[in-house]
Amino acid sequence: MTFLSRAQIIVALGAVALALVVLDLVRRRRLSEEYSLLWVAATAVIAVLGFSTPLLQALTRGLGILYEGSTVFAFGLAFALAMLLHLSIKLSRMGHENHVLAREIAFLRLELERLRDGGDRGNA
Amino acid sequence: MPNPLSDVLVIVPAHDEEESLPATLDEVARKAPGVDVLVVDDGSHDRTAELARERGVPVLRHPVNLGVGAALQTGFRYAVERGYAIGVQLDADGQHDPAALEGLVAPVRDGACDVAIGSRYVTRSDYRAPLARRLGMVLFSGVVRIAVGVRISDTTSGFRAYGREVMEVCRWDFPKDFPDAPLLIALARRGFRLQEVPVTMRRREAGRSFYTLGKSLYYPYKNMLASLMALLRRPT
Repeated sequence: MTFLSRAQIIVALGAVALALVVLDLVRRRRLSEEYSLLWVAATAVIAVLGFSTPLLQALTRGLGILYEGSTVFAFGLAFALAMLLHLSIKLSRMGHENHVLAREIAFLRLELERLRDGGDRGNA
Repeated sequence: MPNPLSDVLVIVPAHDEEESLPATLDEVARKAPGVDVLVVDDGSHDRTAELARERGVPVLRHPVNLGVGAALQTGFRYAVERGYAIGVQLDADGQHDPAALEGLVAPVRDGACDVAIGSRYVTRSDYRAPLARRLGMVLFSGVVRIAVGVRISDTTSGFRAYGREVMEVCRWDFPKDFPDAPLLIALARRGFRLQEVPVTMRRREAGRSFYTLGKSLYYPYKNMLASLMALLRRPT
């Protein structure tokens, strides 16, 4: 069995800690289940790569990467990019939804003003 | 004789325009009597909405600032829901002369085109835009011509008449911030006919243009990308 390097242990423990934080955020309803999925998946991958040296080495060789650490970083970076893109898409959709809602409010407000004015006239 | 503007809605997008909006509304009432006007207050922090209401003009008020395109789209929805045949976009700042309304509306009503764009460059006028704006106009005029083969000298003109079908389509799909070159390309790709109508324009009397410095850097990028996307998208 190969010994785990110190860096590997730090990375793996960090990933586990992050996974726990994410799950706790979900438990306290601060993070929706939908968003937690990418986080949990990413931390799981990093933790597995951190703890399992043979797997990491095989993967590194398979991908043609020279140094195991780079593999971990590559996965981390890929995750970060995926998350950012995901958020940008969500943000665009929310922006659009905001527009629709703001417009709806504008129409409702005009309708309300009309009803109120009409009511006043009716009373006079 | 029936009022030639009775089925026309003048849509005035306004953002913090309390200084110039009253004069603009009064001028519309004076030079184009009987035409219906709608002010779309795009999240103003001043008395824009109040001043319009005082003049008996209905106001649709966005609770937050959404951009001139979104304001126009709100106006389209109103026009379509209330059965107007033609919607005219008119800037709140007094740049556009309401006396030109009938001339702008005429080709749309006659079926010569679906969108009439009031342009200051079809004929000579004393208007001189800032250099950056002029460069942008030449650039995007070229983009539109190459993309859809329509010659529009001023793609940024905010003085336009839209036919009912155009408004129905635009109600759902419309650029949020700048309804310029990409919109014209998208409309032409859907088979709508665009036409330029000569109008004279004045300088802004007060208030701030929608086209501010920060946006002037973002504008060319956004418009180029959006023009390209309008070309790549399949017209639905």
